[in-house]
Amino acid sequence: MTRRRTAVLLSLILQCGMLAVWPLLASADGRNWVTYAGTEAGWHYSKLDQINTQNVDHLVLKWVFQIGDLGKFEATPLERDGVMYGTGQNNRAFALDARTGKAIWRYAPSNLPADLRLCCGTVNRGFAIQGTRLFMATLDAHVIAMDTRTGNVLWNTKAADYKLGYSFTLAPLIVKDKVIVGVSGGEYPIRGFIDAYYIDTGKRAWRFETIPAPGEPRHESWSGDSWKIGGAPAWMTGAYDPELNLIYWPTGNPAPSNYGGQRKGDNLYSNSMLAMNPDTGRLKWFFQFTPHDLWDHDATETPVLIDGMWHGKRRKLLLQANRNAFFYVLDRETGQFLSAKPFAEQNWASEITAQGRPVFNPASIPTKKSIRVCPGALGAVNWNPPSYSPATRLFYVNARENDCTIFTGGPETPTKGQFFFGSSFSPPYNEQGWGVLRAIDPASGDVKWGFKMYSVAWAGVLSTSGDLVFTGDMEGNLMAFNGNTGENLWHFQTGSPVFAAPMSYEFEGKQYIVIAAGSGLFAFGLPDAN
Amino acid sequence: MKPIGRFVLVLSAMAACFWPSPQHAQESPRPPITPDTIERGHAFFADNCGICHGLDAHGGDKAPDLNTGHFKHATSDEDLFRVITHGIPGTIMPANDLPPEQIWAIIAYLRSTVVADKLSTGGDKDKGKQLFWGAGKCSDCHMVNGKGGVLGPDLSDIGATRTIKYRDPSKELTTGFHEPNADYVVPISNSTVTLITKQGERITGVPKNEDTFSIQLLGTDNEIHNFLKKDLKDVIHEQKSLMPVYTEKQLEDSSLKDLLAYLASLRGGSN
Repeated sequence: MTRRRTAVLLSLILQCGMLAVWPLLASADGRNWVTYAGTEAGWHYSKLDQINTQNVDHLVLKWVFQIGDLGKFEATPLERDGVMYGTGQNNRAFALDARTGKAIWRYAPSNLPADLRLCCGTVNRGFAIQGTRLFMATLDAHVIAMDTRTGNVLWNTKAADYKLGYSFTLAPLIVKDKVIVGVSGGEYPIRGFIDAYYIDTGKRAWRFETIPAPGEPRHESWSGDSWKIGGAPAWMTGAYDPELNLIYWPTGNPAPSNYGGQRKGDNLYSNSMLAMNPDTGRLKWFFQFTPHDLWDHDATETPVLIDGMWHGKRRKLLLQANRNAFFYVLDRETGQFLSAKPFAEQNWASEITAQGRPVFNPASIPTKKSIRVCPGALGAVNWNPPSYSPATRLFYVNARENDCTIFTGGPETPTKGQFFFGSSFSPPYNEQGWGVLRAIDPASGDVKWGFKMYSVAWAGVLSTSGDLVFTGDMEGNLMAFNGNTGENLWHFQTGSPVFAAPMSYEFEGKQYIVIAAGSGLFAFGLPDAN
Repeated sequence: MKPIGRFVLVLSAMAACFWPSPQHAQESPRPPITPDTIERGHAFFADNCGICHGLDAHGGDKAPDLNTGHFKHATSDEDLFRVITHGIPGTIMPANDLPPEQIWAIIAYLRSTVVADKLSTGGDKDKGKQLFWGAGKCSDCHMVNGKGGVLGPDLSDIGATRTIKYRDPSKELTTGFHEPNADYVVPISNSTVTLITKQGERITGVPKNEDTFSIQLLGTDNEIHNFLKKDLKDVIHEQKSLMPVYTEKQLEDSSLKDLLAYLASLRGGSN
């Protein structure tokens, strides 16, 4: 590993290309996986290289853990010093012996309501951890702290009334003494928010409402009373830059998602990247990707933070492969727009201006007459996280192609706690989408390679310093690729669609790759020497 | 995508879009039906059900046509209310947490779509039955109540799940007999795939499952063929059905009406 890392650093120093990258933001210790993305910079990257392009085809299944619940298993577990901590369907949770997959404790909430207001299943994407505390954000819009050794609940704070359409599905982010969460519910007439709670007490430290109230800046981006129910949830985990002391939190669609006549204006801060002070919740800057969205193009995709040379100048960058099909590069100190380039087919925007504002294609605006828009309501990528590898200096994302939607939009009367779409939508009958795992060069936005899959994928991506990229597909495969070339090197049939992002850890000198699929958590490693 | 792949995909798509929790069927009083109720019911239907059943309830490859006037899991309007609120266990039909007023409007809309003579073709169902099991050779590929072939879809309940105006209201099923690929979008599970082995052998059939790395095919020889794609020279997908074209010479109009009358009578169970 040392030799390889030296070689990587050396190549970084030697190759003074347009974008050189300093792996400053990776977590200090590559053995453990202690945040949702493996790093606070949103990379979904592991420094481990015991499993690499030379031996990945020897991977074997080490253990399987069954969570004992149905529905989509979208979580990425954490691992620290030989113990794995995970969540799953219906806010179940567990701690495992990371060598054997044997449960240390299991948690199933006894009081989860039967009438949850969910858009997309009883999913949860994972824990946050600090010391002997684990943090989970729940489907009924609570935040709870649990003891790492027992699963005992230490505190349980209600963030919002689930009956109005609020829920949580994301893995929280810990910054210093606070646990930060963003709310789900953009399919309902809600007003979104990002909350911070003190990890010791569960008391709320601050709340940032993602829609400004009357008198607050940019309130005028909403017509009439539409701001009260304008959505703008914040349902995926943000990233943190300790040097700038800023968190970057992405937001989702305005409500109703597919009709704009009732909410004229840009609808800030929907579909935006928010840079905020984690101590106070104060907004430093924002950038809106899709103003006045009409297609459910949430911008909640993972922000990826890297430092590099941009046109000859060293800059702190933020990368995002957006659901609207464009790959964005922003300056994360100022929020300045640097570039946007499509990474998948799209027909909703005729151009992105030099300021980063899209120009709508008039033929793509939903009306009572049905229209076909690409990407459709599910986007060119959805929540499933991308990965950034400082070893290959490439950004990997599971793009959705030919996954379009027929929208038929019109005014809709909102009802509290009921769906609020403003449109009916259906997939075109005679079309079949497919997935492409794409490697994007952040410096140019160019696609370096793509691997076409049989159908659109919902799995996240993991890259490792073994020059590997892992992802899954809807047909149940966990797959490994050469990160430089896109060559498929290995696959394993898990028996169920893969809805999660893989992770990796090392314990007792052995590297593991872990993925959730179906009701199971599957751990792979190299065969033991006999 | 194949039955398994498609099923899970559909299930997940359903889960992704509509996964409210069950609500007890509320015996709320049914509001009076007016043209406005029906129009509103149509809108509620399109919003909540259209993604699978089609915006006009003519069915999709995920969920049946609801214009037949016959429902597999419901007879009365109260049954429909229960099915909509509770879903159908073991299927991808989810429970729906909608206000009773909206559900009654949807039911009013569904009832309004039934045209009385849609299934009445004027044909003789007994003659149609003879044709199906005899000269028409339909049963070579299609199964009804446990008898018949395996290559085509099982038609045991076709009369309860399809109308003559299936899917595209401007096209008639009768046209489909003559041009099975021209007027209907063939679901992938009924499409045609030809495998070419490295030795040059060609195997044609319907895909039962497929992914990036392998394919499982039911061949026209009625046998299952499993291949890794790396062992094949080519995999050719055709968005057409193996259903043969019946020209008017082969299936004259009166025989076609007989056949449709027989098919319309198939409602599952014993015949």
